[in-house]
Amino acid sequence: MITRLSLVLLLAVVASALYLVRMQYESRHLFVELDRASAEARRLVTENERLQVEKRAQATPLRVEKLARDQLKMRTATPAITQYVTYQSPAANEVSR
Amino acid sequence: MSKSVLYTSSPLLASKTPVWRSKFIVASIALGFAGLAGRAAYVQVFGNDFFQRQGEVRFARTLELPANRGRILDRNGLILASSVVAQSIWGIPEDVERDEAKLKELARLLSMPLQELNKKIEDEDKTFVWLKRQVDEPVAKQIAALGIKGIYQRREYKRKYPEGEAAAHVVGFTNVENIGQEGVELSFDKDLAGHAGSRRVIKDRLGRVVEDVGEQVPPVDGRDLQLSIDSKVQFFAYQKLRDAVMENKAKAGSVVVLDSVTGEVLALANYPSYAPEQRQHLTGEQLRNRALTDMFEPGSTMKPITVAMALEAGRITPQTTIDTSPGRFSLGGFTISDTHNYGALTVEGVIQKSSNVGALKIAQKMSPREMWDTYTALGYGQKPQIQFPGAVTGRLRPWKNWRPVEQATMAYGYGLSASLFQMAHSYTSFAHDGRIIPTTMLKSSEPAVGARVFSAQNAAAVRKMLQMAAGPGGTGQKAQTVGYSVGGKSGTAHKQVGKGYASNKYRAWFTGMAPIDSPRIIVAVMIDEPSAGQYFGGAVAAPVFSEVVQQTLRMMAVQPDMEVKPQIVVQAVEESF
Repeated sequence: MITRLSLVLLLAVVASALYLVRMQYESRHLFVELDRASAEARRLVTENERLQVEKRAQATPLRVEKLARDQLKMRTATPAITQYVTYQSPAANEVSR
Repeated sequence: MSKSVLYTSSPLLASKTPVWRSKFIVASIALGFAGLAGRAAYVQVFGNDFFQRQGEVRFARTLELPANRGRILDRNGLILASSVVAQSIWGIPEDVERDEAKLKELARLLSMPLQELNKKIEDEDKTFVWLKRQVDEPVAKQIAALGIKGIYQRREYKRKYPEGEAAAHVVGFTNVENIGQEGVELSFDKDLAGHAGSRRVIKDRLGRVVEDVGEQVPPVDGRDLQLSIDSKVQFFAYQKLRDAVMENKAKAGSVVVLDSVTGEVLALANYPSYAPEQRQHLTGEQLRNRALTDMFEPGSTMKPITVAMALEAGRITPQTTIDTSPGRFSLGGFTISDTHNYGALTVEGVIQKSSNVGALKIAQKMSPREMWDTYTALGYGQKPQIQFPGAVTGRLRPWKNWRPVEQATMAYGYGLSASLFQMAHSYTSFAHDGRIIPTTMLKSSEPAVGARVFSAQNAAAVRKMLQMAAGPGGTGQKAQTVGYSVGGKSGTAHKQVGKGYASNKYRAWFTGMAPIDSPRIIVAVMIDEPSAGQYFGGAVAAPVFSEVVQQTLRMMAVQPDMEVKPQIVVQAVEESF
């Protein structure tokens, strides 16, 4: 009786040990994936930063002005060709009425 | 025949072995096992530090988590400086594969002559050599694709400056280790840098991270910094300044644009400038932030201040008549003269015509101490309160040592010195209704609170004089703009060379504000050594002032305060059936 119980317990111990090893392996595996994913996230963040800077470099005032003048045939606005309107909030309108 | 040993009949066989010997052997073996067991217990339980440590050294690694350097933004959130990933290329000379074609391609990608590359990798005693630091990402990918043995890459960060030379003096730059060296990059280095973090991990034999151990310190990224600079105003000011310097064949120039309501610096540009990303052939001339570091005698710019303090002390009114004839005045062995004999002028006229004699006669109504107090209150001889490296204090001697002639020359701006920035700053007292306001490089939305120097009424009176000086009959007529009323004072001086003044070298400047009734901006322009014939501040610097004011106010959406003949043509198109 006692030997049978011991045998069962022994089997249980061996099984749990094997399970532990497997879990350890899996957790490391998942960890590697997580690490890879977060590295990818970091890479994307820096890539985003790089692209933003590039976008900005393509839209410097120098370039915008050159394109506006040469390609779109625009010219600088002066007060003489600007219509100034002042915003009046509806509330102010009611008061003035 | 020799004697041989007879084994079978050896007398030793017959002797009886004592029992203690076998017991001794057994005991020794048992002791040996006990020793081993003890050692095992010691190694695994009691004295395991050493082995644990040695084990960890072999598989645990501390990884540094670099902090991102904060970005520098302009007031509208546009990027002025930002860090991007850049790979640094390095190699182990001994291991580098000598493939002529591949190395040639590598040299081309690194944009260095093949000879130079070969020289770097020929010293086989070295185990490490940088080939090039901070190569742009696309190029680095191409290099990686070449797959040359013994050439490796290391991830680093590189600063990018999209605005280039227009904002170079404001933004500054960092060195290859990402430490600020100039400008805002230097003065706010602590805020921008952040703190690197670290994590302790276990790596497997392939170098993959498999587990975190111990505590992790997350990196603290540097703070983004929003400056008061408006990149459009900055660019425009730089462009106009550059054009003016070239047109006048000048040596250099500076321009400062201040918001006179909030005290923010909207633009600060110098010419010659430099591209912050290509600093190989940088000279001190290009590097100098003249608006803050070059000091010179403010000349006529000081006359409105002289008048304002006399008004404040109640010694004169704007209409008081000052006799300036015959256009010369002798004092302590010196003769001070005007360009013309203006005769009797009102105080307003003194400013409009920029009469030296008039200014000194007004100053004579003041005591040196009163003058010194006002100058000091306006920031002369004081370190500008601006977060910027290398700003000069200027020179203002203690009033107790002033000789009468010095007091007189100071009235029209000689005998003391200041930077262009200090001059622009002192004019906030006129623009901000008599209060001098602190300036800032960082964006702020609230109106600045300043210390009162002049009464609001006197500040308005001086503004009127400044408007006259920039109007018909004044010295700065070229400062006028379309739609906006301006006021300002031009200045021209012989340059100081050694102890005296050079007869053919000039410095010209213009300091003013607009719109004059309730000023939004103060603009100061300085042109150093104009040598294309014209050299007066009113002729050389005032046009730059005019253009900068015109564009800046338009960009700030300030409505014109003067009548403009509209040129908007509304064409009614007749409809037809």
